[in-house]
Amino acid sequence: MRIDNAYFTRRKFLNSLLGGWLGAVAASFIAPIVKFVWPPYKEPDEVKLVFADFSDMKPGEVKNFAWGVKPGILKRAADGSFIAMVGVCTHLDCNVTWQPEKRQFFCACHDGYYDEEGKNIQGPPPKPLRRLDVAVEGEDLFVRKPGAGAKA
Amino acid sequence: MKIKIDMKKFAAWFDDRLALTPIFKYMTHKEVPQHEHSFWYYTGSSILLFLAIQIVTGIMLALYYRPTLEGATASIERIMTELPLGWLVRSVHSWGATFMIAFVLVHLLAIWFTKSYRKPREATWMTGMMLLVVSMMFGFTGYLLPWDDLSLAATKVGTNIPAAIPVVGKWVTQFLRGGDDVTGDTLTRFFIFHVCVMPLILFAILAIHVLLVQKEGMSIPLKDELAKKKVPSLPFWPNFVLREVVIWLVLFGVFMTIALAFAPSLGPTADLMAPAPEGVKPEWYFLFLFQTLKIFPANMGPVTGEFVAVIIIVITVVIIFFLPFIDNKPEGKKGKVFQYLGIIGVIYAIVFSIWSLL
Repeated sequence: MRIDNAYFTRRKFLNSLLGGWLGAVAASFIAPIVKFVWPPYKEPDEVKLVFADFSDMKPGEVKNFAWGVKPGILKRAADGSFIAMVGVCTHLDCNVTWQPEKRQFFCACHDGYYDEEGKNIQGPPPKPLRRLDVAVEGEDLFVRKPGAGAKA
Repeated sequence: MKIKIDMKKFAAWFDDRLALTPIFKYMTHKEVPQHEHSFWYYTGSSILLFLAIQIVTGIMLALYYRPTLEGATASIERIMTELPLGWLVRSVHSWGATFMIAFVLVHLLAIWFTKSYRKPREATWMTGMMLLVVSMMFGFTGYLLPWDDLSLAATKVGTNIPAAIPVVGKWVTQFLRGGDDVTGDTLTRFFIFHVCVMPLILFAILAIHVLLVQKEGMSIPLKDELAKKKVPSLPFWPNFVLREVVIWLVLFGVFMTIALAFAPSLGPTADLMAPAPEGVKPEWYFLFLFQTLKIFPANMGPVTGEFVAVIIIVITVVIIFFLPFIDNKPEGKKGKVFQYLGIIGVIYAIVFSIWSLL
């Protein structure tokens, strides 16, 4: 049935009403599913380490620590301060290796190289290794995301 | 008391409920054309043979496999060393994947070069392309499950590739990994994709694909179609099926020989903190993509080389997906161009695969 001057019939109107309602119900089911499937795992904002484990590092020495589930790299600079980096290649996410004799980091996945400061020098890596902030507070050594600051 | 079953009545009862007669009738009346390219018809059913092997051995392995960080490698070790014939079951599943993908690729190339995707079989080609992608995803998710050092590195790289795509990329990577990084959740997720989600997707697309093949019948060579030549044919049942069975048996013999002689190894358990091992390689059918990613420079102008490589790969896949519409005059000059592009593509894939192994 079509009312005079109407754009569509009554059947079409009711069909789209029912269809729209079914669509809305489906969306309300899908939203929580999506929320559940895209999980909350994020890398940490800061990691607390025991300073004593690293205090005897000589200048230029490199040690690993756990940055969440990824390797972190702690290097002692010539002036005795610490530099922290995420030990994950900026190309496609493989873990890098420290090659002490050549004083460089190497990624075996696609032959990427970084110098000891973490700067990308050869191969496909597009960016230097990600830097993290380091702070020694009492007996603890904190490694933080740049700009994350200390938790109160 | 003696129970007598009247088989005829029994069959009639079933047929009355399920209406199977038309299907049997169709099978016995179906004709398969015979010509110089008929050989390629067998590639389709060969894929089904290996799919069946994958389903059976996959279920067998899943009875003992544990998809957790702590248990995965150990459970495969157990399958290979303690369970009766476990090493063979794993070898058959691993080689079955290789054979299945190989036949999918041969099937695809045969259709490319005979241009069987031309009207009215565009949808058959497109569902076929979807099945190729699903098959490769099966391979990719399955490769992680042993959770040894090589499979972890390959998964880190593979799941990071979508992140190069703007807007949706990061989201896809998080979905695949179950977070920002590859963790134990990624392993469990890949297992569920591999044994539950993707089989459902595969069967749905496969049903449409096979139905379309039945609906349109087998394609005949382009020149015969243009000449409106009547191509001689063979009854599907029993003549064609007999030939298929012979080919299946030969293939199965070759396949089992290889699976018996070359069982896959198992590396040390993956350590999320350990550096990537030397000699990281994906499965053989990803080698040319792996090598492509390797040769792109770090930065190309304002964007990374990885981004350019991924965009080129995505565009290529989209073009191949819509090939029947792009190559819509197969008998003309344009048809020839796509013939040559196909040859160039094959040479590219072979050269880059070999290069990646050097």
